Amino acid sequence: MEDDFNQPQRQSPIGVLVMFVDTLQLWARGLWPVLLVYIVKFKDLNTIYLGLGIVSFLIIIAFVAYLKYLNFKFYLDDKNEEFVINEGIINKKSTIIQLDRIQQVDINQSLIQRIIGVYELNVDTAGSAKKEGRIRAISHTLALNLKARLLEGNAVNEKEISEEATVHNSINQNQPFVKISFLSLLKVGITTNYVKTLGLVLAFIMTIFDNVKRIIPEYEVDDEQLENFVDSQSTIQYVGFVFLILIFLILIINLIRVVFKYFDYKVTRHKDSLLLSFGLLSTKSTIVKPEKVQIVTVTRNYFQKKFDILEIKIKQATSSDTDIKKAIIEIPGCNEKEKIAIFKLLFHIMPEKGIVLKPNYRKLVFSIFLFIILPVGLFFIFAFYLDPTLLTYSYVLPFYIVFIGLVLCFGFLNNRLYINDNFIIKQSGAWDIDNAIIETSKIQGVTTSQLFWHKRVDIGCIIIHTAGGDLAFQLGNFTVIKQYVNQWLYEIETSDSNWM
Amino acid sequence: MENFTNKTIDIKQLPKFEEVVFTALHTKYFRVVLINLGIVIGLFILAPMVLSVINPELFSGRVWLILGMVIPILLIFIVSFSIIGFRKKGFAFREHDVLYRYGVIATNTIVIPYNRVQHVALHEGFMSRFFGLAKIEIFTAGGSSSDIAIPGIAKEEAENIKQLLMGKIQKQL
Repeated sequence: MEDDFNQPQRQSPIGVLVMFVDTLQLWARGLWPVLLVYIVKFKDLNTIYLGLGIVSFLIIIAFVAYLKYLNFKFYLDDKNEEFVINEGIINKKSTIIQLDRIQQVDINQSLIQRIIGVYELNVDTAGSAKKEGRIRAISHTLALNLKARLLEGNAVNEKEISEEATVHNSINQNQPFVKISFLSLLKVGITTNYVKTLGLVLAFIMTIFDNVKRIIPEYEVDDEQLENFVDSQSTIQYVGFVFLILIFLILIINLIRVVFKYFDYKVTRHKDSLLLSFGLLSTKSTIVKPEKVQIVTVTRNYFQKKFDILEIKIKQATSSDTDIKKAIIEIPGCNEKEKIAIFKLLFHIMPEKGIVLKPNYRKLVFSIFLFIILPVGLFFIFAFYLDPTLLTYSYVLPFYIVFIGLVLCFGFLNNRLYINDNFIIKQSGAWDIDNAIIETSKIQGVTTSQLFWHKRVDIGCIIIHTAGGDLAFQLGNFTVIKQYVNQWLYEIETSDSNWM
Repeated sequence: MENFTNKTIDIKQLPKFEEVVFTALHTKYFRVVLINLGIVIGLFILAPMVLSVINPELFSGRVWLILGMVIPILLIFIVSFSIIGFRKKGFAFREHDVLYRYGVIATNTIVIPYNRVQHVALHEGFMSRFFGLAKIEIFTAGGSSSDIAIPGIAKEEAENIKQLLMGKIQKQL
C-alpha cells in the first residue's frame, strides 16, 4: 500500500479551486442583498470602483480558500482506530470518527470537481443527521484506497494488507453485474413520478405567469383577451389541448430528470457489498453493505409491469429520524433477472410471499370517511354558512370523489401483508404498487395496537420497527398477528443473529 | 456439541406476549399525574383572567361565553384521558424482552427484545424526584418510534431494573 494515511495530509493541491468555488458560493449566498443593490444601481456606479471591488472580493476569497486548504488535514489513527479530520482557520474543528462506527463512505463528484478531476469523499456514521466527515478534493485512487481502509476498519486487525491491495484492484476488474441501459432509463422516465412532475410543472408555469404579469403591466388586458379566446373556442377542445400539452411536458421533464440523475447506472459486486455508481453531470457512488440493509422496497406500476422494469429502494440503518430519507438508495429500471441477482446478494435467498393477511373492510370504510365524506362535508358546510361563492366550484366534487374513491379502493385491494419464515412483505399502493421486504431478524421491536371497539371483531394493527424505519399494517386478523409476533420474538430472542 | 438439539418447535406452545400480567405504575405516580393536571387546569383558568386584566377590551361577552363552554369540556377531556391513561399504562420484564402497554382509545403494546436494546437511561423529573420516582428510558436502533419510556417506577426499583437491563445487554454482546 503506497498511500500512508497515518500521517496528517492535505487534500489535492488543485483542491484549492474547489475551496474557492465553495467559499464563493457561501459568501455570495451571505452577501446577496448587497449584490442585488449593486445590480440594480449598476448604471450609476463607477466602473473602476466596481472592478476594484470585485477583484479585491475575489482575492479575499482566494486567500480564505487557500487558508482553508492549508488548515484542512486528515489522517487515520491506527492505534485508536479513528479517522481524524482537522479543519478551520480561526475556529478550529477536529472531527474524530471511530472506524467501527462508520456506516457508509460515498465518493461523489460535482460538476466543478469533475472539471478539475478530483473527487469528494463523505463519511457517514449512524450518529447524527448530517454527514460527519467530508473531504472535498482528493484524487480517485486516493479516494478508493481511503474508502477501502475506512470500511475495513472493523476487520483490519485480522486481515492482511495484501488483501486490501486486491480489494481495489478487484473493483476495476469486476464487471458490473447490473447495468441499466439507456433504454431502461427511457422506460423509467415515461412511467414514473407523474404526480410529482405535475406539481413541478404547475409550479413552474405559475411562477412564469406571475413574473410575466409583473413585468408587463399591460398583460392585464391580455388576460381578458385570453378569456375571450377561451370562450370562442369550444371548451372541450381547449381542455383537451391543455391536457395533451401537460402530459407531453410531464413526460419530457421526467425523461430529462431520470436521465440526468441515473445515467450510466452500474451495480458492481465489491467483496460482499454492492457498489453503485450513477449520474450524468455529477457521478455518485455508494457502497451498500448487505448486513446494514433494513428495508428493501420493490415498486412497480401497471406500465412498468408491461415493460418488465421495476424500481428497488434500499433503506439502510440510521439512528436519526430526519436522516431516513437521505439513506434511501434507489436502483431504477432493473428487470426481473437483475432483481434476482441483487436480492441474492442482499438476502442470500429469494424472499417469497408466505401466508397472506388482508385488512378488514372497515379500513376502506374509514378511509372513505376520512378522505371523501369529511372533506366534502366540510366543503358544503363552508359553502352554506360562510362563503356561498364556493358553490360555483362544486363541479369539481364528482371528479374528486371518483378519483379519490378509485385510489382508495385500489389501495385497499392491494394492501396485503405476507409472512413467511424469514421475511415479512408488505404490499401497498394504488397505482405504484410497493412491496416492502424486511427480514425477521432485522426487527428491533414490535408494537401491536387495537382500538377498544375492535376487540370483539378481533382485528388490530401491527407496527414493525427496524433501524431503517417502521412497517405498519392496519386492521388485520389480530389473533394471527399476535401469534406471529410471538414467533418473531422467539426467533429473535433465541438467536444471536446480527441486525447490522 | 452434546448439548445440541434441534427439536421442532410448536408455535402454539410459544410464550404468549398477550397473556403477560402487566405491572401497574406506582401509586405515588398518580399524585404526580394529579399535580400536573392541577397545573394545566390552573393555567387554563388563569391565562384568560390575566389577559383580561392586562387588556380588558380583549374579550367581549360572547368570547367569554365561548371560552366558558370550551374550556370546561376541554378540561374534562384532559382529566379523564390522563386518569384513564394512568390506569392503562403497565409494564412487564420477561426473561428475554420488555413489554410496555399504553393508550386510552387504542391499547398499544410494544415489545423490545433485550438483544436489540442499545442503551438504557434513568430520568428523574422535578415532580417525580419529590416523590422518589424515576422514569426508565429504553432505546433501540429503530428511532424514536421504537423507544420505550416507562414513568412512575420507584427510584430503587428503577435502579435495579436498569442494572438488570445493562446485565442483559452486556451478556448479549
